[in-house]
Amino acid sequence: MIAAVGLVLGIVVGLFLEPTVPTWLQPYLPIAVVAALDAVFGGVRALLDGIFNDKVFVVSFVSNVLVAALIVYLGDQLGVGTQLSTGVVVVLGIRIFANAAAIRRQLFKA
Amino acid sequence: MPTPPTTTPTPVPEHRVDSMTLLRDLVEDSLDEGYARAAARRAAEPDGGPRARGRGVLLVVGLVAVGLLLATAYAQTRSRAGSAEQAHSSLIATVQQKEHANDREQLRLDRLRTSVQRDQQQSLALTSAGRDLAARLGRLESSTGTGAVEGPGMVVQIADAGPSGDGSDVDPRTGEADQGRVTDRDLQTLVNEVWAAGAEAVAVNGQRLTVLSAIRSAGDAVLVDFRPLNPPYTLRAVGPDTMRTTFAAGFGGSYLQVLQGYGITSSVEDSDRLQLPASAGVSLRYAEVPAPSRPRPDRTGATGGSSAGASSGSSR
Repeated sequence: MIAAVGLVLGIVVGLFLEPTVPTWLQPYLPIAVVAALDAVFGGVRALLDGIFNDKVFVVSFVSNVLVAALIVYLGDQLGVGTQLSTGVVVVLGIRIFANAAAIRRQLFKA
Repeated sequence: MPTPPTTTPTPVPEHRVDSMTLLRDLVEDSLDEGYARAAARRAAEPDGGPRARGRGVLLVVGLVAVGLLLATAYAQTRSRAGSAEQAHSSLIATVQQKEHANDREQLRLDRLRTSVQRDQQQSLALTSAGRDLAARLGRLESSTGTGAVEGPGMVVQIADAGPSGDGSDVDPRTGEADQGRVTDRDLQTLVNEVWAAGAEAVAVNGQRLTVLSAIRSAGDAVLVDFRPLNPPYTLRAVGPDTMRTTFAAGFGGSYLQVLQGYGITSSVEDSDRLQLPASAGVSLRYAEVPAPSRPRPDRTGATGGSSAGASSGSSR
């Protein structure tokens, strides 16, 4: 409950303030979003499994975002930025899908 | 990896599993290991109660951060799309503005040209030699395309085939795939046939053809005197009454029938009264002061055969 309130609050604040992202940060925003989604889906699945732990969730969220951004940054410096972004998106995308499938199994027993 | 591989007791596919281990890990251990470990730790030490409150705050902070990130990304994407659209629409506005300015200038040019013509006629009407000259000038202007013309004639309309126009595989006109489109070559041929049928003045989509006019193409657009035309194309020709039958019986009519095979629709109609404008694209290239004694009418050089070279460029 309180978690949903926090999520909605964050979205509303973001939509109202429309914070301007500095240009050097803009390339990492999509990757960060994918990483955040991965953390969120993982958290929801853990919640449904009954082993949710908020510390693990927050730490995984922050580290996911940071590591994803770092990988893309390294890739940019090495000249393989797009390839590495693709790799990150593929890996996180598979995890999101797997977690979503687990959530679906939990919720609908199907 | 908390779950031992008890599900695969047969040792045969072992190395294959190894080679797929990355994907297997991705799909099967998609849940962060930390959750299981934290759960195990909590099970080990029975009371995690007193920290529950502080951790609730932590959770809310984390989720606010997630929401903020999502909303920021959304706003960012939206504003970027908006700016691209803005640039696009501002470009369109500029183009339209320029077109309007162009039209205004064209209007002004037409007005000035009419006033020049009026002054010319007025000054020529002062003397009898001048009146002769004026009559000759009028004839020349109407046949060269620099003067407006009015009279009976015919109207030929040609329209591109629709998007589903089906033609044969090979296009003898252009050799290209887009067959249902009227090309500059088609218009050249038809205009030449209209001239050959006895037309005295021809205009395509309101653009009067002069003796120096060119029908060309740029990309897919057909240009007359370097001004693009929009399909459908309308050829209006002033000429004798026999013009339509001559045109239809000659090569022009059969050419239209050939075009029909590609889905290009056309119609030829008589018209009692056509008004063709003067061409806007002719500038004065050569002038001389007439000899003071008497103007010799046959010296100024314009040959009357204006009809032959209407569509300059490549007529087969």
